[in-house]
Amino acid sequence: MITRKALPRRSFLRGMGVSIGLPFLDAMVPALSWAAKKPPVRLVFMYLPNGIDMPNWTPDYEGPLTTLPRILKPLEPFRDDILMLGNLTHNYGRGLLDGAGDHGRCCASYLTGAHVKKSATELHVDAPMSMDQLIAGKLGNQTPLPSLEIGMEDPRQTGSCDSGYSCGYTNNLSWKSETQPMPPILNPRMLFERLFGANADLTPAERQRQTRIRGSILDFVRESTRQLEGDLGPTDRRKLDEYLTDIRSIEQHLERASKDETPIRPDVPKPAGAPADFAEHYKLLTDMLTIALKADLTRVCTFMVTREGTSRSYREIGISDGHHPLTHHGGKLDQLAKVTQINEYHAKSFAGWVSRIAKVPEGDGRLLDNMMIVYGASLNDGNRHVHSDLPTLLVGRGGGTLKPGRRIVYRQETPFCNLHLSLMDRMGVDVESFGDSSDRLTGLENA
Amino acid sequence: MQDQPKPQAPPQDGGRGGRGTLPPANPAQILGGGRRGGVQGPGILFDSDMGHIDAALALAMLHSLGPKGQLIAVSVSNSNLEAAAFCDAVARVYQGPSPGGFGRTALPVGLAANGPKSGAVPMLSAPLAMKKPDGSMMFPQGVKDVRDTADPRVLYHNALLTQKDGAGIAILAGPATDLAGMLTLKSHREVVAAKVGLLVAAVGAYPSGASDPRVTADIQAARRLFAEWPSPIVAVGAEIGAAFPYAGSRIEADFSWAATHPVVEAFRALQPQILEAKGQAMAAVLYAANQKEGYFKLSERGTIEVLNDGRTRFTPSATGKHRYLIADAGEKDRVIQAYTEMASTKPTPPAGRGFRPQ
Repeated sequence: MITRKALPRRSFLRGMGVSIGLPFLDAMVPALSWAAKKPPVRLVFMYLPNGIDMPNWTPDYEGPLTTLPRILKPLEPFRDDILMLGNLTHNYGRGLLDGAGDHGRCCASYLTGAHVKKSATELHVDAPMSMDQLIAGKLGNQTPLPSLEIGMEDPRQTGSCDSGYSCGYTNNLSWKSETQPMPPILNPRMLFERLFGANADLTPAERQRQTRIRGSILDFVRESTRQLEGDLGPTDRRKLDEYLTDIRSIEQHLERASKDETPIRPDVPKPAGAPADFAEHYKLLTDMLTIALKADLTRVCTFMVTREGTSRSYREIGISDGHHPLTHHGGKLDQLAKVTQINEYHAKSFAGWVSRIAKVPEGDGRLLDNMMIVYGASLNDGNRHVHSDLPTLLVGRGGGTLKPGRRIVYRQETPFCNLHLSLMDRMGVDVESFGDSSDRLTGLENA
Repeated sequence: MQDQPKPQAPPQDGGRGGRGTLPPANPAQILGGGRRGGVQGPGILFDSDMGHIDAALALAMLHSLGPKGQLIAVSVSNSNLEAAAFCDAVARVYQGPSPGGFGRTALPVGLAANGPKSGAVPMLSAPLAMKKPDGSMMFPQGVKDVRDTADPRVLYHNALLTQKDGAGIAILAGPATDLAGMLTLKSHREVVAAKVGLLVAAVGAYPSGASDPRVTADIQAARRLFAEWPSPIVAVGAEIGAAFPYAGSRIEADFSWAATHPVVEAFRALQPQILEAKGQAMAAVLYAANQKEGYFKLSERGTIEVLNDGRTRFTPSATGKHRYLIADAGEKDRVIQAYTEMASTKPTPPAGRGFRPQ
C-alpha cells in the first residue's frame, strides 16, 4: 500500500516576497503512477529576424535528417530531435494591397496569422489574439505565469520602424488583443524577478530589508528549502541542489552583466543589465527560460532573437555592418557571406541552449522530450522579402506527439497557420481554425 | 528603416533544394508589389482541366492581357500533374525563368490533388517532353511533384487578397472542384464573397443542351458552385465554343514570334485529328477581359441548375444571379480576330528585369 503523500506539482520555496517554483521531482508523483502523470508539453517560439540565407539552411534531401547545411551544422548532434518543415507560407506578411513594410507585417502576423493595419501611430491586427496568448488563455491557470515574452533589444513601441509600420509591430510577437501587444522583457534582471516573484508582493518593510541585504534570493528561501529537503529522497535532494545552483549561477551572471557598460549599438540603449556580447546575453536569458520550463512556471514562451528588421551589428564575430542592411546584399557575395555568418552564429547559440535542455532529465525522459521549440523566421530570403517557404525547425518531441529527425516538404503556399493548429492540438487547445489555416499539418507524428 | 528596391539576388531554389526543379512559377501571378504598372482591369483566376487545346489557348490569352487585367492565379481542376507542369511551362514563356524580386512573390500553379482523374493527355506530354539539341528541356518546368503545386483553395485565397473588393474575376473551364472547394471553409468563402465580382463559367450548354463531361467529372461540385457561389455568374456554353472556333491551321503563323511555343506544340500533338479548337474557354476569357466590347449578347437573368445527368438548365428569374452568353453571328470575325490577337501577342519584357521572351 502506498501511503506517502505526493508533493503538489505546483510547489514553491517561499520567503520574504520570493517564490521559487520547483522542478519536476519524484516526490511529486506517487509511486507506480509515473505513466499517468506525464510532464506537460511546453511551447517556445524562438524568432529570428530578417530572413535566412536559404541555400545554406535548406538540405538537398527530404526524409531522415543526415548531414545538415552550413547554418544548421551546430544543430547536427540534435538532428534526431528536429523536424524541418518546408514550404510553410505567411500570406499576410506579403504586401497584398499595402505596399512596402514586409518587416512590420511579417513579425506581427507570425503568431496572429492576420492582416496588420499599416500605421505608425495605431496598432491593430485583425485577430483577437496571437496563438501563444490563445494557449495562455486556456492553460495559463495551471502555471504561475500564463506566458512569457522575452527579447534581446529595442524597447520602442511607438514611431515608425518599417515603411509606415509602427515599432510596435516589429518589436512584438505576442498579442493579447487586436490592439494590445505583449512587449517582451528585455532586461534580464526584470526577467529574473518576474520568474521568481521578487518584489512583487513585498510589504514596504520586507522590500527595505531585501534591498539592504542584496544577497541571493536563495537566502530568502533558506528556511523553506531546509524544510523541503527533509521530505525528499536522495535523488530529489540532488535535483533540488542542482536547480538552486543554476539559479545562483544566473544571479552571479546578472551581477557581472550589470557592471558591463559596453554598448551593443551606439544608437539604441542597451537593456539594463544585459551583457553586450550576444552569446553571453542569449545564454543568460535562455538559462532563465530553462529554469522557468523546468519548474513549469509557464508553458508557452516567445523569444525574439533581436527584433524584426534589426540593424544590430555583430562585432563579437567581426561584423560591424548592421544585420538588416546586410540582408539587402543585392547579390554581393561579401555581404551575403556576412548574413550567413550571422545566421550561423544564431544557430550556434541556439544549439548551445538545446544542448543544455537536452541534458535536463524530466520524468522518465528529458525536458526536451516534452517541448516544442519553433526556431525560425517570418521571412525566407531577406533580400527579396519572400514570405513563402519560411525557414522553420520544430525541435523537441512534443510529449511523444512528434516523430522528429526528418525533413518534411509540404505543398507550396501551405499556410504557416496550419502549423499553429497542429501545435495547439498538442498543447491541448482545440480550435477549428486559426488565421488563414486551411487544415492541420500532416505527417508530424509519422516517421 | 525605409526599404527600397534592390537588384535581385542570383536565382535561388526557393528553399526546395535538391529535387531538381525550378523555383515555383506561374510568374504572371505577382504578389506583394501591388498591381503592375498600367493595369486597369480585373485580377483574374483561371481554373481549368487543361485537357483541351481551348484551355491552352485561353491560358495564352490570359498571359497577354496587357492593361485589360492581370492573371493572378492558375489552377488545374483535375488530378493531372502534367497539366500543372504545362501551365507552369507556359508561364515561363511569358514571364521568364526567375520571377519575383523585391517585394514580389510568384505564386505556384494550383492542382486539385484529389480531384477527378484524367488519363494521359498528348497535348501536354508532347511539349513537356521536348528537348533542345543540348539535351535541356525545351520548355523549362518547375512542377515535378505535387508538392511543387499549391492547394487551389489556398492559392485562390492568397491571390484574391491582392485585389480590391469586387475586383476579381474567376474563370472556370473544367470541373468545378477547386472553386466549389473555396466555399467549404468560412475564411475562404468570405474572401470570395468580398473580392470576386464575377464568375465566368465555361461549362454546360444554354439554355439547355447535352451533358458536359466537365460537369459530370465532379457533379456535386458543379451543383454547389451554381447554388452557392456568392457573385453573379455568366455561363459560356458549348454552343458558344462551336460558334466561335479557333482554326488550327493559323496557329503557327499567329505565334511566329516564338521559335517554339508550348501551346503551338500542344496543338501539333493533336493534329491531324483536331483541326480547330472549339472556343468555349477562349470566349470566356474574351468576355471576362472585355465585358463592354459587345462581342456577345447576354441572356436575361435567371438560375442555372445542374441536373443528375450532368446537363445544365437555365430558368429565367428576375432575381437570379446567373446569365449566359448568346452568340451573335455577326460578330464571328471580330471575336476570332480578338482571340487571335490576345492569344498570340508577343509578351513585353517587364521593365528592368532583364527578361527576353524565348
